[in-house]
Amino acid sequence: MMQPKSIDPISRHRPSAELVAILLVCALVIVAPVLLNNDYLLNKVARYLVLGMLAMSLSLSWGYAGILNLGQAMSFGLGSYAMAMTLKLKTVPVHTGPQGLPDFMVWNNVTQLPWFWWPFESQTFAIFAGMAIPAAVAAALGWFMFRGRITGVYVAIITLAAMVVLNLVIIDQQQYTGGFNGITDLAQLELFGIAFDAYGRSTYYLVAICMTGALLGAYAFTRTKAGLIIQAIRDHESRVRYFGYDVGAYQIAAFALSAAIAGLAGMLYTIVMEFASPTFLGVQLSLSVVVWCAVGGRQSLLGALLGAILVAGVQGALSESATFLETWTLVMGGLFVLIVLFLPKGLAGLVSSLWTLARQRSFRPFRSLHRIGQTEGGA
Amino acid sequence: MNPYLQLSNVTVSFNGFLALNDLNLDVSKGELRCLIGPNGAGKTTALDLICGKIKQSAGSIAFNGTALDGLEEYRIARAGIGRKFQVPSVFRELTVSDNLRVACAHHPGVLSNLRPGHRRADDEAVERLAELVGLTDQLRKPAAFLSHGQTQWLEIGMLVAQNAALILMDEPTAGMTAQETRKTADLFLRLKGRHTLIVVEHDMGFVKAIGDVISVMHLGRLLAEGSASEIESNPAVRKAYLGRGGITHA
Amino acid sequence: MDQFIQQFLTGLSIGSILLLVAIGLSIIYGAMGIINLAHGEFVMLGAYAAWFLQVQFGMGLLTSLVPIFLLVAAFGWLIERFVLSFLNNRPLDTILATWGVGIMLQQAVRLTAGGELRYVKMPEALSNSTDILGVQISLYRVFLLVASLVLFAATWLLMNRTTVGMKLRAIIQDRSVAASFGVNARRIYGLTFAYGAGLAGLAGALVSPLKSVSPEMGTGYVIDAFMVVVLGGVQSLVGTVASAFILGELSGVIAFLQNDTVAKAIVLLAIVVLIRFRPQGMFATRVRA
Repeated sequence: MMQPKSIDPISRHRPSAELVAILLVCALVIVAPVLLNNDYLLNKVARYLVLGMLAMSLSLSWGYAGILNLGQAMSFGLGSYAMAMTLKLKTVPVHTGPQGLPDFMVWNNVTQLPWFWWPFESQTFAIFAGMAIPAAVAAALGWFMFRGRITGVYVAIITLAAMVVLNLVIIDQQQYTGGFNGITDLAQLELFGIAFDAYGRSTYYLVAICMTGALLGAYAFTRTKAGLIIQAIRDHESRVRYFGYDVGAYQIAAFALSAAIAGLAGMLYTIVMEFASPTFLGVQLSLSVVVWCAVGGRQSLLGALLGAILVAGVQGALSESATFLETWTLVMGGLFVLIVLFLPKGLAGLVSSLWTLARQRSFRPFRSLHRIGQTEGGA
Repeated sequence: MNPYLQLSNVTVSFNGFLALNDLNLDVSKGELRCLIGPNGAGKTTALDLICGKIKQSAGSIAFNGTALDGLEEYRIARAGIGRKFQVPSVFRELTVSDNLRVACAHHPGVLSNLRPGHRRADDEAVERLAELVGLTDQLRKPAAFLSHGQTQWLEIGMLVAQNAALILMDEPTAGMTAQETRKTADLFLRLKGRHTLIVVEHDMGFVKAIGDVISVMHLGRLLAEGSASEIESNPAVRKAYLGRGGITHA
Repeated sequence: MDQFIQQFLTGLSIGSILLLVAIGLSIIYGAMGIINLAHGEFVMLGAYAAWFLQVQFGMGLLTSLVPIFLLVAAFGWLIERFVLSFLNNRPLDTILATWGVGIMLQQAVRLTAGGELRYVKMPEALSNSTDILGVQISLYRVFLLVASLVLFAATWLLMNRTTVGMKLRAIIQDRSVAASFGVNARRIYGLTFAYGAGLAGLAGALVSPLKSVSPEMGTGYVIDAFMVVVLGGVQSLVGTVASAFILGELSGVIAFLQNDTVAKAIVLLAIVVLIRFRPQGMFATRVRA
């Protein structure tokens, strides 16, 4: 056995620039409340962080695994409803029905809590379900698609269709789901004796910790060999198969993981917004997620996250004026088309190529010397 | 004793066109078999069939005592069959070292590849492989930046990494210089014995340099089989190549 | 029995609308490998054009069909020329680009024509009902059925009996070989996309008297049309027709038993299951890859 050589170019696993950037952003997110002494603003930032998490989850499936999920908001919405359902059942004043029925069920003449609401009496179950249900739905959908060897374009449209249909079903079954209005008037989440008020610091920290955890977890996943293999699948699916990897299994895994993170983001969104609505799994939001990802850089977890915060932040700032907001959608559409055409790797791609360029400029003599030394040694 | 790889009466039909027509081919363990034949003889189709890319309409294939019929590609690969494609197929967006890492497929399951730090485990193998195929300097480059010959080498390196018992090579020297071709021949001779190889080639010099037994295919069938000199003197083979200046210049 | 015929005719009517919307999508996907997510918005544009021509110039629906086709087709040509032609060999990105275009169209219409629902008047001559096998059915629905079949026949002839169609089929087979024989692929793609867009515009105009017209109406249509294309198999126009009417009848029956939404959900589930076992669609034949 050879001794590992410390100077060899590939044994030298330096912490990548991306990891450093991720840690910086995480640190900034954690200390933000110290800088921002405004509960209203903090709530807003928490909202953007949740949306960033959602975009990051799409980057995992789209940028890394090459699975363009146009219905990413479906997982988000499922998580959001799971949380809203359990919080609704905890709301004391709306226990107006004979068995503590949610108000909208009473208005719709439902006399008994439907069976699929029962387990949500348990908050622990709901938190579990908020990630497990989206992941299971994605895995099931993925099983059909990836085992049938459906390619990119088909996946995109099937996921979009699945989300649109679920959205219609939720609106249609209003006696069980609150329909168009969603589920409103919720209790506060209580965990380990802490109550999470949407405008309190505790909620901000909850969001910040979940986001940091999800980001680092997703990054760790991309650095495992499985993470490498899903990128290989994105590049050349059939080639991977001839090395003995079960491509479908990897795709299902990546797709489900991405859905679970989106589900977690959805749960947090309910806590931050204090309601769940069919718009959380609407086409509009799903498109936005894709736009954020494209702007920030689909192949970079951090890029997608920051892209979401940037774009949603600008939109939020403009939303004071209704006309602005309407023009904004138009501008967004145009910007999106331009980015797809001319900047397919988004801002993260731009930054990364500028960075490489800058390094090549300053270190060129060094690098070529290094290279000469290597060839002589290796030959 | 049964042969290591056995194709029995295999027929492949594309909408009525018989790309393979009742083909029989036996390869024994540790052998380096060359597969030659005029264009359209069905050489690539035969490789496609063995690695599961296409399915036969009749006949059966057995490898090392197991039937491969109807198995999915990844199962065939796990049974110990590796494939190099005619158009070099590598992961263009990944670096050379990552390409080799993916090819180190000892544990193909999803769960066994989720352990952190797993990538380092392959480092030693990656270095050794890079040296073997002369890509040590290119390890950090995306594969898209390699020259055509280097890409061929990378894919060969990936097959060695995969460590398949049976390796199928489709025109491995296409686009290589004479010197590179010689290096490839050396490498193949080193692989012989440890691995069983089936190599599809047009370059007769290369075939003579590496092959023990040469199989000649024509119109989806096996036309002749034997050593280089036997093949060259075989009238049926000469007839199949007629008008193209004989086999040497094919 | 009447019940059965009634149900059958309803399904036929749904199927004809599906076919109208799907032909354009199918042509574009089959020929160019592009899923045009702005297809629904082209349908919406057609519907708005019908409304606009009616309100502003008092044009009847039937007389405005030709200008609407040309208008939306011209628009499609522009999109192909200035957006999609930059995206050769990037099929996933074309989805995104057309999605972006669709959103812009939706918003542009919302800003100019307003977000409220609009209604288009049915042509006088077709506003009555007729009697088929003892069942009353609106004449306009019969007209739609005929129109969808006529458009299908015209498209089929265009693809299989004209030089442009032959060139297009040559490009589908092998673009570079076709180009080396002097086929201008760029131009043919532009024309194909324009034709598909024009068909979508026609579909929008034709269905507008039956449905309310709104900026968001397109999303539902593009998904329905895509279901038709998946079920029928790409590059199979006949498959598109068959699957449009199968889905139409199926939706009709489920909608009768349950409601429209449940019908949509069940159809989607059926299609997801189908792609696992027959990803090439119901009516396509397997070809050498």
